[in-house]
Amino acid sequence: MAQSAAVGTQQQYNYAIIKKFSIMALVWGVLGMAAGLYAALELAYPFLNFNIPEITFGRLRPVHTTLVIFGFGGSALFATSYYVVQRTCQARLYGEGLANFTFWGWQLSVGLGALSYMFGITQSREYAEFEWPIDILITLTWVAYFWVYVQTLRARSQPHIYVANWFYISFILATAILHIFNNLAIPVNLFSLKSYSLFSGVQDAMTQWWYGHNAVGFFLTAAFLGMMYYFVPKQAGRPVYSYRLSIIHFWALAFLYMWVGAHHLHWTALPDWTSTLAATFSVMLLLPSWGGMINGIMTLSGAWHKLRTDPIMLFMITALSFYGMSTFEGPLMSLKSVNALSHYTDWTIGHVHSGALGWVALISFGSLYHMVPRLYDTKLWSLRLVYAHFFLATIGIVLYITAMWVAGIGQGLLLRAFDDQFGTLAYTFIETVTFLHKPYVVRALGGAFFVSGIVLMAINIAMTIRQAKVEQAAIEAKIASKMARA
Amino acid sequence: MSDLLRWIGQFENSKIVALLIFFVTFCAIIIYVFTGKRRKQRLESYKYIPFEDEEASQTQRKVDKDE
Amino acid sequence: MSFFKHESIEINAGLLIALTMVVISIGGLVEIVPLFYIKDTIEKVEGVRPYSPLELRGRDIYQREGCYLCHSQMIRPFRDEMLRYGHYSLAAESQYDHPFQWGSKRTGPDLARVGGKYSNEWHVAHMINPRDVVPESIMPSYPWLMENELQYADVADRMRALKKAGVPYSETREEYQANVEKFGQEAADKLNILAAEQYLVAEAQAGNFDGDRSRLTEMDALVAYLQVLGTMVDFSQYEEGHFVEFR
Repeated sequence: MAQSAAVGTQQQYNYAIIKKFSIMALVWGVLGMAAGLYAALELAYPFLNFNIPEITFGRLRPVHTTLVIFGFGGSALFATSYYVVQRTCQARLYGEGLANFTFWGWQLSVGLGALSYMFGITQSREYAEFEWPIDILITLTWVAYFWVYVQTLRARSQPHIYVANWFYISFILATAILHIFNNLAIPVNLFSLKSYSLFSGVQDAMTQWWYGHNAVGFFLTAAFLGMMYYFVPKQAGRPVYSYRLSIIHFWALAFLYMWVGAHHLHWTALPDWTSTLAATFSVMLLLPSWGGMINGIMTLSGAWHKLRTDPIMLFMITALSFYGMSTFEGPLMSLKSVNALSHYTDWTIGHVHSGALGWVALISFGSLYHMVPRLYDTKLWSLRLVYAHFFLATIGIVLYITAMWVAGIGQGLLLRAFDDQFGTLAYTFIETVTFLHKPYVVRALGGAFFVSGIVLMAINIAMTIRQAKVEQAAIEAKIASKMARA
Repeated sequence: MSDLLRWIGQFENSKIVALLIFFVTFCAIIIYVFTGKRRKQRLESYKYIPFEDEEASQTQRKVDKDE
Repeated sequence: MSFFKHESIEINAGLLIALTMVVISIGGLVEIVPLFYIKDTIEKVEGVRPYSPLELRGRDIYQREGCYLCHSQMIRPFRDEMLRYGHYSLAAESQYDHPFQWGSKRTGPDLARVGGKYSNEWHVAHMINPRDVVPESIMPSYPWLMENELQYADVADRMRALKKAGVPYSETREEYQANVEKFGQEAADKLNILAAEQYLVAEAQAGNFDGDRSRLTEMDALVAYLQVLGTMVDFSQYEEGHFVEFR
């Protein structure tokens, strides 16, 4: 019975596309995090730039952010959203060819983007560095994604749309709006890869950080919450703590996030009213964020013992804890007085990574560990490796963010220190740079821990897939021998 | 009444008006979601959707109800 | 409540999509749209002009190398920043910046007013190897800027693209005249698309930014750009506190 059901799901759902996206998530993850580690080392030891234009820090940093956000995160989202929508709707994914187009379109965009930055082709908009031809490819891919997703939803076998899908839908819609408006640009000519932003100065800054923060809000938060609302209950084997809380969580998050982008522009030439409004909404955003975190963590209430035996659950609960921590730190840093110190420093970098490594990457790791064996109808190759990955990742994050707290707060304080007697500046800028060296070394060490963790994961998943193929071959051989006897 | 409408229509008051609209909507959603026994049962029943995708989960559902 | 049920959203994908669109649009609309219409967003200041063709190419290189990832161009109104970098940045100073280069991180110092602070020779030496002039610097070296010839065949196209985005580069007699009135004769000549290449070469020759008159390199353009940053507004013209009301 169990065997036939498993074979049934293999045929009922389009798993091929999910497998492809899952594998690419890991490929981009390893490459992107390695690029990040190298960039971190360049800051600690500048000789590592080696006077090679393609790998200098300024060109490598967008490669890192693009590969991890869009390559790793994006592919993980495509994979999990296609898995979740099929299984909660009990319907096969719409449009075989169109789904494949989303795969190739997305991988091509990410790959071309990373290469183009190394050759200096960039819009110089953070997290939206893709030049206009790639932007168009992304737009087409995204429209196809939306269509595949909605058509699958419409084919669902029951009236209610499960809440995870709401989060995925809002992520698809918001990303579409953000991508289109932030990338409005005028190409130099049809054969030139260079373009100039349609907006300038203040308006351009506001548009970019409206994009920048909502890329965090919808790409890196809402979508991964969709992941959380499916995979945490599944892995725990118990339904989500409160479905009604998830409804409030969804609408509040979708509404509040879009207001907060301007907190990236405190004390700048942006009008005061805009950044004050953004700070206010940033503080309010704490409520839905923590509501969601509590909803996720409480799913495990009464089954805490699972944490002792299940490393995948460990990944998910730790991810939620980091989500709670960074959504507390965020509103704190959006207060103008705190921001005056934290802005322009490494504190921001640390904050981003406690969200990106702690929340986004850990919940993705957990979900992939849950999903991949089911896709291949087998068991994980090694649970001990999952444990090893978990500890490497957690130690890595802790080293990273503490190093960045020291670096950011320390530099912020040094920069605003005055000589008591003469009222002059106590430190030159370069003195604060010297101070950063040690934290930068520790940060790179934390990064190395994290990278080695994902390498272990890649090995574990590759072996799991190999094992599945061997098992499959054994079953087929058995059937063949039976047939021959008959 | 007409005075009130005029006050709402004035641009200077847009901040208060917007705040009121958003806050009232928020409260309405909260009240809607968290009141009514039947609504509670209906909404909370949806949380089992992820478990309807494989037959093994049917047993899980029973276990949860027994608790 | 019978006229509306949350249930109808939950079971209707189209309605869910429509409502989500409304909810996520409000915040962005309220914060971005007024910036285009409220006059006080950008204060009126004398002296801010679009970049000359040479400066523009320098700015392109600044973007290409990802300088904005470690250097901001936005001085905040704090005592330490005023002492370190100068008068806080005005919105007007980046009104022709497509895209803006305010940045988000200062691994290196702010560059909004770096123009005129160091000599051309210092910049060239610093770009070739930062540690030759600042031993503790962690900035990468950019020796290829001195080796690469500056490509400027498409500079007119670049200016035309920016003109479409609203930068007042001139193509017609009238536009040129308008620029003369607004920015003065000398600046207006540099903003003339029809003579762009000619003025680019002339400016590089006259400025000799890379210290090598025989060649027109990427270093020429980048240093020309750095040297104009923050120098357009003459703050001695304005009373102290003049700009406070715009904040």
